[in-house]
Formats: sequence, C-alpha cells, structure tokens
Amino acid sequence: MEVSLDLLLNAVVSGVLLGGFYAAVSVGMAISFGMLDIGNIAHPAFIILGSFTAYILNERCGVDPIVAGIIVLPFFFLLGAGIYQVYHLAFERRGETAFIGLAFFFGILFIAEVGLILVFGVDYRFVDAPYIGPSLHLGFVDLPLRMLVPCLVSLVLIGLLQLFISRTFIGRAIHAVSQDAGALQLMGVRPSRVKLYAFSLSIATAALAGSCLIIIQPVEPSLGRDYIGRVFAVVVMGGMGSLSGMLIAAMALGIVESITATFYGPSWSPAVAFGFLLLTLAFRPAGIMGR
Amino acid sequence: MASSLTIKGLDAAYGSVRVLEDIALEVRAGETVALLGTNGNGKSTLMKCVMGMLRPVAGSIVAEIDGTRHELNGLATEEIVELGVALVPEGRRLFPKLTVEENLYLGAYRRTARAQLKRNLAHCFDAFPRLAERRRQLAGDMSGGEQQMLALGRALMTAPRILLIDEPSVGLAPLLVRRTIDKIKELQEQYALTVLMAEQNFTQAIRIADRGYVIVHGKIAFAGETAEELNNNELIREFYLGA
Repeated sequence: MEVSLDLLLNAVVSGVLLGGFYAAVSVGMAISFGMLDIGNIAHPAFIILGSFTAYILNERCGVDPIVAGIIVLPFFFLLGAGIYQVYHLAFERRGETAFIGLAFFFGILFIAEVGLILVFGVDYRFVDAPYIGPSLHLGFVDLPLRMLVPCLVSLVLIGLLQLFISRTFIGRAIHAVSQDAGALQLMGVRPSRVKLYAFSLSIATAALAGSCLIIIQPVEPSLGRDYIGRVFAVVVMGGMGSLSGMLIAAMALGIVESITATFYGPSWSPAVAFGFLLLTLAFRPAGIMGR
Repeated sequence: MASSLTIKGLDAAYGSVRVLEDIALEVRAGETVALLGTNGNGKSTLMKCVMGMLRPVAGSIVAEIDGTRHELNGLATEEIVELGVALVPEGRRLFPKLTVEENLYLGAYRRTARAQLKRNLAHCFDAFPRLAERRRQLAGDMSGGEQQMLALGRALMTAPRILLIDEPSVGLAPLLVRRTIDKIKELQEQYALTVLMAEQNFTQAIRIADRGYVIVHGKIAFAGETAEELNNNELIREFYLGA
C-alpha cells in the first residue's frame, strides 16, 4: 500500500485527538492505580456510568453532554468517597489489598454493569450536540469536532489536575502517600484522608470522561471492558504516578492505533498498540516519565 | 514559651517481646538530651512510642507545649505532630520520588507550619545551602549526608517545639557526623527547640548534649545530669570506650 503524505498526516492528527480522549479515560486510573496503589479496575465502568448520566441529562433536559459531565462531577466525587470508605474499612485498614482489593473492584465493575443493563437495557445510546456532525478543515487535514471537543476537554481536565497535584499541599501529599504513608503521618497528614480525597477525585474524572466517550461513540453498558486494557497500558507506559507521562503515553497509543488502522486496517491496531507498550517497557521499565 | 517532654513508667512490646521497661525520662524546656545506647536497646522504640507510631503497653508521655500539657499516649501520629512534636526518623524516610523542595513543602503541611512556610523555607536553605542548590533534584538521588540534611530540614518545616532525632549519624562519614551534630546544636539554639536525640555515637552526641540517658536492654541504666558525669560513667566505659 502506498503511503501518501496527507493520509499519514490525517492519521497522525486523528491519533492525537484519539490520544487526548484516551488520556481523559486514563487519568482517573493514573491517580488511583498510579499514585494510590489502588487497583481500581472498575474505573471504566464508572466512565460508562458517566456516559449514561450525560445521556439522561441530554435526552430529558437537552443539556450539552460536557455541561452534563460538569454538573454530575460532585456526585461522582461523593460516589468515589463512599466506595473508598468501604474499601478502606473492609480491606485497606487490615492490609489486605492486593488480590482481595482487586476482587472487590471486579465485583463493583459487574454490579455497575448489571445495574446499567437493568435500567437502560443493552441498546446503544447516544447524545445530541451541535459539534457531533461537523468538521474543521485545515488544508487537507480534517478535524472532526466530535473528536476535537473531547480532546480539548481532556487537556483542560489534565492541566487542572496537574496544577492541583503539583501546587497544593494536599496534591503533594497525594503524590507522596504511596511512597511512605508512615512518613506522611510524621508531617501531620492522615494518609487515609489524603487517599479518600484523591480516590474521590479519580472517580469524579469519570463523569467528564464518560461525557467525552458518548460524544465520540454510542455507548452500551458493557463497553467499558474494551477500555480496561488500554487504560492499564497508558498508565503503566506513562510511568506510574506521572500525569504528564500518562498524557504522552495516551497520545502515543492514539497515534500508533490510528496509523495502524489507516494503513493496515483497524483489527490490527490493538495488537500493534500493545506491542508498542511491551517495547516501551523493555527500554524504559519505569515508563516514559517514571521517576 | 517553654516546651518539655516527660515520660513515666513506659512499657512497650512488639507482640510478646518486651522492648521497653519502666522508662522514666525527662527533657526540660530548651534542653538537648542524648539517649545513648547501642543497636537494639530500644532507642527507636522509645521514639516511636512518643510519636504514636507504636502504642505503649503502659505509661504516660506528657508533652508540655508552650505551657499547655498534653498526654501523647493514645493520640495518633498526625495529632502529635499537630501539637508541635516532630521526629527525624531512623532511616530518614524521605519521599524518594519527590524533589527536595516538594519534601520540604510536605513538612509544612500542618496549619501552623503553613503560615510560616516562607520564613521557615528561607531558614532551612540558610542552614543547608546545599538543599537550595539541589531543590529540584529527587530526594532519592542525593547522598547520605544530603538526605540527612533534608530529613532535618523537613522536620523543621513542621515548625516543631519539641524535636526528636533518631540516630542522625548513621551511615555518615566521620566529618559529616561532626557537622550534622554541630548543625543540630545550632538549630536548637536558633529555634529555641527542646531536643531529644537518640545516638550510638557517644563522643559526638555528648559534645552538644546538656544531659544524657543510657539505655540498656530496654531500661534506663544511667541518667547523667551533666556531660562530665556521663563521660566518667562505668557503663559508658564498658559499652563505648572499651575499657
């Protein structure tokens, strides 16, 4: 197959947009798994929940999906707080986190999925917004707004989180808590409070990520499973605990997937993407920005 | 205002292993007191009990902070820190993947410390110019001496009234041990701190200590009212000076 420049350029641009979206999906896990050592594999299920809340607000009240995501953000924060409390009291406090914790979140994943199926059925749902159809055209590069808007939302979200984590006291404590929780107590910080805050924040991001998802594609309750692998790949590849590394990894994954899909067909893209993950880890075991 | 620490009848154990027995110890306001003893005699355990990192089996630990008395036994570590007691722990326990500056900022987490953050940071960089030069470096990439400076600096950032230091000389070259000990004295005077320092290095510790306790097998074996007394003590000769 002939590689034409404009085809390549278009593939790269749509890869960047796709990568921006992957970053929004992964940022919650970058916090919970990367910074807190909480293997919340149910995160994609919360994203689907976010998609459905955006769908309801859009369908019933005509609210823009992004605005809907912002409206439900505080509720997701509280939901995260509740889940962390259960996790902390039942497992973390007793030091049984690795496998039992994983089983706990696996359970949550299924409960969330089945709950959504019971309420909404298994049909695909989608939202309405003025930016879902049209595209910008810059020379021979197409920028579909349906992809551009989620990418921009994602960049703003990650930028704000990065500022929060690097500039505030609680943010720095979030970064430190998995390194040495005992030493953090010596700074006058209660580690479980920091984790509660951070975990709630990670679930709150799922509200916006869910809005982004349902703008990009129609959503059904078990769709989250498609993303679990990618999300893990992005977080690990980025270097656990680094948001900037996570963003770079998400972009790289998006670009690799998009180029593969353009030139070799979409069915190859997961294989190539994970091959890329393995190569990255072979040369940089701590991830792209791993410290 | 004065801050002091009074420990009475302190017993501590790890499971069924008795580690501290009937410890009585006092650090009066503005004093530097040395807790002397070789490895495994319970110095760190004593520090952990004061900081609420290990719950004692019995005993009272009273901290008087600026005139107010607080019973520390039963409080959580972060509550004790909040009162104005800080520990430079054994092994330093820095956050290795955070920068020097981020480590120091974390020291200033508690409310009282936040208010003084700028001033304390300036003092800290004044006392340890090396930390200012390396402020963007990861704590884990620094040398042992630099890490000890950072651990001290981080504890001072919590704006403590009572400072506990566990084995500041461990892992340092002799010249650095000397400097670190001198620095502790300097900081004690500058901040008007009440200091309890656990140390194996008798000769260095005694240079700056007002008084000292010798701990052997979890019991206070000797309490020296002056450095002289400690210097001439039989136990000290036996344990440290090899005579």
